[in-house]
Parts: sequence; C-alpha cells; structure tokens
Amino acid sequence: MVDLALLIGGPQGGGIESAGQIGVRALVMKGYDIFGVREYHSNIIGAHSYFNIRIRDTVARSPRLPVDAVVALDAESVFTHMDDVREGGIFVYDTSTLKTRVDRIAPMPGPLKERVKAKLSQHGLGDTVADAVKYLESRGAKLLGIDLKAAIKEVAEKSGRSVVSVARAANVVGLSAALAFLGVEKEYVHRAIEAYFAGKTRVIEPNKIAADIAYDYVEESYGLGNLPDGPHKGKVRMVASGNDVVAMGKVVGGLTVQTYYPITPAADEALYMEGHRLVEVREELAEKVGLEKLGVAVIQTEDEISAINMAIGAALAGARSATTTSGPGFALMNEAISMAYIMEAPVVITIWQRAGPSTGMATRTGQQDLLHAMFAGHGDAVKIVVASGDHEEAFYDAIKALNWAEKFQIPVVHLVDKTLAASTKSLDRFDLDSITIDRGKLSYEWSGGEYLRYKLTEDGISPRVPVGFAKQLNSSLEHTEYGYAIEDPEVRNAMVEKRLKKLDAIERGIPEDERVKVYGSSDADITIISWGTVKGPVLDAMEKLEDEGIKVRYVHIKTFIPFPVRTIDEAFKSASRVAVVDYNMLAQTSLAIRMFTGHKAPHVIQKFTGRALQEQEIVRAVKEILENNVERVVVSDGA
Amino acid sequence: MARSWLEYRSPAWVQWCPGCGNYGILTAAFKAFAELDLDPAKTVVVSGIGCSSRIPYYINVTGVHTIHGRPIPVATGIKLANPHLTVLVMSGDGDLLGIGAAHFVALGRRNADITVVMHDNAVYGLTKGQAGPTLPAWVQTKALRAPNIQDALNPLLLAIASGYTFVARAYAYHVDKLKDIIKEAIKHRGAAFIDVLQPCPTYNNVMTQQWYEQRIYYIDEQEPDYDATIKSPEERSEKVARAIAKAMEWGDRIPLGIIYRDLTKEPFDARIEKIMPGYLEHPPATRPVHYEGKPLVDPFKVFTDRVVQA
Ligand SMILES: Cc1ncc(C[n+]2csc(CCOP(=O)(O)OP(=O)(O)O)c2C)c(N)n1
Ligand code: SF4
Ligand SMILES: [Mg+2]
Repeated sequence: MVDLALLIGGPQGGGIESAGQIGVRALVMKGYDIFGVREYHSNIIGAHSYFNIRIRDTVARSPRLPVDAVVALDAESVFTHMDDVREGGIFVYDTSTLKTRVDRIAPMPGPLKERVKAKLSQHGLGDTVADAVKYLESRGAKLLGIDLKAAIKEVAEKSGRSVVSVARAANVVGLSAALAFLGVEKEYVHRAIEAYFAGKTRVIEPNKIAADIAYDYVEESYGLGNLPDGPHKGKVRMVASGNDVVAMGKVVGGLTVQTYYPITPAADEALYMEGHRLVEVREELAEKVGLEKLGVAVIQTEDEISAINMAIGAALAGARSATTTSGPGFALMNEAISMAYIMEAPVVITIWQRAGPSTGMATRTGQQDLLHAMFAGHGDAVKIVVASGDHEEAFYDAIKALNWAEKFQIPVVHLVDKTLAASTKSLDRFDLDSITIDRGKLSYEWSGGEYLRYKLTEDGISPRVPVGFAKQLNSSLEHTEYGYAIEDPEVRNAMVEKRLKKLDAIERGIPEDERVKVYGSSDADITIISWGTVKGPVLDAMEKLEDEGIKVRYVHIKTFIPFPVRTIDEAFKSASRVAVVDYNMLAQTSLAIRMFTGHKAPHVIQKFTGRALQEQEIVRAVKEILENNVERVVVSDGA
Repeated sequence: MARSWLEYRSPAWVQWCPGCGNYGILTAAFKAFAELDLDPAKTVVVSGIGCSSRIPYYINVTGVHTIHGRPIPVATGIKLANPHLTVLVMSGDGDLLGIGAAHFVALGRRNADITVVMHDNAVYGLTKGQAGPTLPAWVQTKALRAPNIQDALNPLLLAIASGYTFVARAYAYHVDKLKDIIKEAIKHRGAAFIDVLQPCPTYNNVMTQQWYEQRIYYIDEQEPDYDATIKSPEERSEKVARAIAKAMEWGDRIPLGIIYRDLTKEPFDARIEKIMPGYLEHPPATRPVHYEGKPLVDPFKVFTDRVVQA
C-alpha cells in the first residue's frame, strides 16, 4: 500500500503554491490520488507558508504528520518543521542558510522562536540551521542539503537567463529533490511543469532545468527512489481546489448570476468562475437549446450587503443566483437573508468559514459559523443549511443548493471552509447523469388572470413567475397573496401557516439520506459525529484505528436545516460511546444536536488553531477517550 | 394608443398624510408611465423603507418593496438579470443617502440603466421626523430635540461625482414638470438621478411648500442657454464644471431641471456585453440553464485548466 506525505514550506510569495501545484500534478500523472492542503498567513509576502500533500493508492483525503519528506526552502521552514518528518524520511534544506540563527528570522513569530530554541538547547544544541540539521539527524531523518543559491546560478547559466529571473525556480529544485527521493520519475515533474505553466515557455524551460539539477543531486547522494505507478494511471482526471469545484458545481448547476465582495477564502471561487464566465454547451445539447455558449455574470459589488441584495434581485427576475462570502461578509448579509425568506426569493449563499471571532485569523480554517449560518436572519427567518465534507460533495452540493433554493423558494446556505477552499484534490469524472436541474414551480408565462406571487397553496409554495413576466408585488412586509402590505391578523396567520407548510415541504422533500451519511456499523467501539472537512481525517483515522482493533462509526451530517433527527437519535441510542468533533470553541455541533434531538454528547474533540484537522489527531483523541474516558480532547497539530 | 394614467393607479389605500409631497410624485409617475406607455409587467418600481418607499403598493406596475437602504442593489440585480426591463428606484433621502449611500455611489460607477427618484423631504418621515442627510446643519425641525449638528449632503454633487449620467432636480408639487423630468430620466440610457424636493408637512416645518416656492426656479425658463449635456468626451471637463456650479446653488435660489447629462458613457449592460458576448440576447434571467433537467455544461470540457492526464 502506498501512503505518503510530502510537506513543502517557504516564504509566502516564494512559489509555495506553484511548487505544491506542480508536485500534485506530477503525483496525479504518476497515477496516485492526492490531497494537498495549503496553510498560509494573512500576508502577501514573506510570512511562512506550506503545502502538505498526501499521496495514496486508495483515497487521499486528509493531511497527516509526520510526513515522509519535508522540503524547507528557507531557514524558517527548517525550524518550523524540524519535528514534522518521520524517522527515515527525507529533509531537504538549503545549505546556504546553515549559519542562520533563529533570532535573525524577522517574519517568524516570537513564541515559536522561543519554543525552537528551547527544544534545541534541550538537545545541547545552539540556535542555527546547522543545529537544527543536527537535531534532525539525531531524530533519524535523512538530510539532503542543496545549495539553492548555487543551484539557481546553474539554472541561470544553463537556461541563458539572469539569476534574478530564475530565482523562483528554487521551489522546483526543492520539490524535485523530494519527488526524486520518493521515486517519482523526472518525466512526471517535467510534464507537470508544462501543464502548470501551460504555454509559458520562458518559465517552463528554467524550471525543467531546475528539476534536472535536483534529480542529479539525489541520484548522486541517496539514489533515486522507487515507486510503482499508481492505480489511476491512464485516466483523465482533474486537479482542483475546493474553491474551484464549488464554482464548477454552480456553473454546471445552471447558475447565471454570482455576486461577491472580495474576502478570503471565498474570492478565489468567484475569480475562478469569472475566468470561466463564457462556457461551452455540451455538444449533444447545443442544438437542442439553440446555443453554443452560456454566460455567467460574475459581479464584484461594493460590499456584502449589496452582494446578497443584488443576488436576491437577480433571483426575483428569474436568474439562478448565488453569492459567496465568509463569516464577516455573511454577518453583513443578515438582514437581507430575512428579506429573501419573506419574499420567497431563491438565493444561494456560499459561506467559506474562516477562523474568527471578528477578523480573527483570516486565512485559517474553522467551523465557527455553524450556528451563525443556522440562525442568521431576524424575525423567524428560515433557510436551508447544507454542508460539504470534501471536494466531490461540494460539487454536487453546490448544484443541490441551487435546486433547493428554487424548488422551495427559500435562501440556502452552503457551508464550506478554508480547508476545503485551499486544498487541492485529484478527482474523477463527475457523474453528469446523476445530476438533475430542478427549477421548481418556475414558469415564464402567466395566463391565469391576476398573478398572485404569494398564492396560498397546499404545500406552501406558490407558482413563481419572475419579475418582468407577470405584473406582481414582492414585499418584505407581511403581505397579501398579491403582495400588498397588510397587518390583518387573519392574513398574517395564513401567511405564517403558508411559510410553515413550506417547511413541511422541505422536511418531506429532503430525505434522510441527503441529510446525513453513516460510515461503519453500530457495533463500533465509538461513534463520531461531525460534518464538513472533519470527514477526511475521521475516515482516515477510522482505517488506522481499525488496524489497531478499534472500530469506529462516523456519522457525517450534511444538512443542519433540515436536521437528520432520526439518524442522530438512533446513533446515540445504539452507540456505546459518542464523540462529536467540533472545530470551534462553543462546541456548536454538539449544541445543534442537543437542540434537535435532546442528546448531549458525552465527549467532544476540539481544535481552534485554524490549521486543517489531521488524521493522527483523531487517532490520538479517540484513544484518549476510550482509554481515559476524557470528556474534552483539544488537538492542535500543524505549524 | 397610450394607456390612461388612471390605469397605473393601484387599488391600495394611499396612506400618506394629507398634503404630503409624495402625492405629487405619485401622480407624476402615473402620468410619466402613461405617456411612455410602459408595460406594467415589464416596469419595475423598487423601493426601500420609509414613507416614500410605500410607493410600489400604489402604482399598478411590478413592485418590489425591499429593506431600508437596499433598493439600489436589488434593482441592480433585477436589471442585471434582465436588462430589457424598465427599472426605477423610488425611495427616501434617508434610505438612499443615509443607510444606502454606498449603493448610491456604486450605481453611478456602474452607470446601470436605472432611474433613481429620491423623495427628498430632508427628514426620516416614517420614524417620526429625525434629521435626514439633506437637512442643513443648525436647522431644528419639529421633531428634533436639538438643532441638527450634521451638515447636509449635496445629492446632485454626489451623483455627478459618482458617475450618474443624468442628474436632475424637481419639485414634488409641480406634477407636470416633474412628470417631464421622470420621462427624460427613464428614456436616458444609463444611471439617472432625480432629487425631488418633497415637502413633509408633518415633520419638516422648515422646508415647507412656501419655503420652497419662494426659492425654486426652472433653469430652462430662466437660463435657456444653460447646457450641461456632454456629447463628446472633450466637453467633459467644461460641462462638469458648469454642472457642479449649478448643483452648488442653494439658499435663496434653488435651480430645478436637468442639471447634467453625459451621453458618452456606456451603460452597465453594454459593458457586460463586451466582456460576455451574448449577454443582451440571452440574459441571466432567461438563458437556458438545463435541457429537460440535464445540465448543459460538462466540467471536463469546460474547466480544461484543471484537467490532468494521468
Ligand atoms: C435597518 C433598519 N434601520 C432602521 C430602520 C427604521 N427606519 C424605517 S424608515 C427610516 C427612515 C426613512 O427615511 P427616508 O428614507 O428619508 O424615508 P421617508 O420616510 O422620509 O420617506 C428608518 C430609519 C429600518 N427599517 N431598518
Ligand atoms: S410623515 Fe411626511 S413624508 Fe411621511 S407621509 Fe407624512 S407628510 Fe409624507
Ligand atoms: Mg426622507
């Protein structure tokens, strides 16, 4: 079984993203499944950033530590990750930094410096990179020092370019050294460079030379590694981030308007979509719809208040419409969510959660907006809340969210997070045949006399004719069936009942198997309940624990409104032990479970650091709970 | 044959105070819509929250009564989705220039083909008479507990600076004059703004009908040579300067009429068409999104920048 992990770290702006993307592509070309998550500071240039790539011949879906190879492109990365490589793993570093002392690294956080110095001095070492290298040797890591300055000079000479113009290729030198050691043939790195820099020959050539230099180096030192081809060899696959797949899902799902105000980690979704605002119609359907290209209007607004209100306006006019944001932006949308609810406007709000409170840690992850998403909207406003656990789910959920919005004429929140946004995943073809686009009771024609936008119906959902196709009134005030403002008690009751009936329709219309997924069986030693990107680490931990004879069942919540009451209730009743993984301080998931089912989870596993949850953290936490019966385990792996 | 303006009257009871300037604006809208023969289904009046913002209930066209300060983004979304509709925002000074000022500016920058009619009574009518953003400093209207200590905003200057390509001022009780300006604004291709001076007899006991009528004058009557219509980009600096000077007139004499017009800037829909050809013919509101429920897009064919051959 192949299960490898590779970490590449360096200064922000130093090509960490491109090194990661090239590495991921090379590994996918080699036939492996990959999951790569990027951790970075809220900073443009200079702060430490890294890519942690998991490589498996089964499914890669979570980061883990320690890794099999670390590439440290600068001194800070050496110090930051000196405990992150396993015994026997390789640690690639830049020999031109050997004399650098911890205290000389300006961007490095003070407390981390102190921890590193303390650690090194415990081992009788000083505080230079050379000391860290000794420490690594004592831990059984294989060290591969490359003089990156010399390597870049060589790249410049061989490519006939200036040193400055090829300096960024240092990342590819480091990356290639690790890949050579792991046994990925050089051809894959070359092909990955070509694919990633598609068409930019001036960039491609020096980077290929950089790869060659690294491969020669490894061949001479440790010898090239040996890795069989992975099981996906020969397939056409995709390598995409969570931001990308949500954009793809929306476009495939028939989105025609997307509004946004720039915010991390949501903006990349909108930008990717904007780059693809004109898309080709599937060949076999082009003639049928009489169009070859379709447009998606992606509009940057003046603020999030405008973004949501504009999306609502577009929806009233008949567009399939969405907006994308993060917690702070969603906070600004609160009032309009309530309007969308009373106006019965179908709109999708994608929330890419990041670490709060307030601006908190803007480029870090978390699940702190669960209750915020569920309860946003004053005055009894309701919405559907669906959360995605991985890239595939996010793609299909984006389509589902659009369907539910139009079918139930209600706002739908799609909850995702920074881990998903900034993680890259290899993906197989999506199953287009399984996708249905549902626009509910929408019609562009009206001949039934006066059109009643809020007609009282059996299921609480009124026929929907867009603004422009039948004279109508849409109102944020309590209204009559036509839409006139009214405060008459009987009409008020009728309208509240109408909206309640709609909630029944949602209860009936979203079956249990779309609300929750259960992995493993009820005779497990422990049942874990969680949602979102906790899924990958838990499923991976399940495998590891199973090997050690510990059986785990995982209950993965997909929708919080409507809530999978039956399954969760059953899980509590049948489980010997229940633990909730809650990536937030308040244990919000546990609170939601308690609110809907009355069950109080006896154990909670929490994380606050804003770094992606990892496999080994769950393994450790589960053992801790089973062995010591602890109520609350806090994990915090990852630099 | 054009519709009678009575056809634009809705059956709803109009709940403004007796003598309120909003009645004049309402009647002017009826008449303008009738003279332009606007299709009630395809004409959309969007409002925020305030006394004035109840107007969609009273006009028998499509209406959208939104939340306080947000009619502009909602209207922009409607117009974005379906550029073939006639879209108006009719809202209060507090709504548009207080809580909604960011959107007011943004509409100008986009030059979306939307007509904004501001019911400018210089007070927050519906919340019982607090100072509005156009109430001059040190004025103390009836409901204020102390004189106003915040300066008035000049809506015309803000509109010009924001990029509106049609800027006018009108007076609520002069229905026919107002009607003509509303018609011009609707016909204008781009963001149009009309600051309608609207007496509020209930709360604004300073800027009353009498106060206004002693001061207002029509530019086209008193200065027939006034011309601030930009027909080519070279005229811009000169005509903007002229318009700004006119917009600054306030006090003993208050000019009414079309202050500024720029015919050289393309509206938002034309800009979108440029970066997304086909938009006008198949706008977001009506373009196909599926065929018999099947998706129209194959991600592996479209997002080729993410496809990798293993
Ligand atoms: C978010 C929010 N804040 C405050 C209010 C209360 N409110 C209702 S109308 C209004 C002011 C209306 O003033 P203006 O827009 O000038 O309209 P007018 O009543 O003068 O026509 C306010 C502050 C509200 N509805 N929503
Ligand atoms: S309070 Fe003023 S603006 Fe409101 S209806 Fe009465 S007169 Fe008109
Ligand atoms: Mg007002």
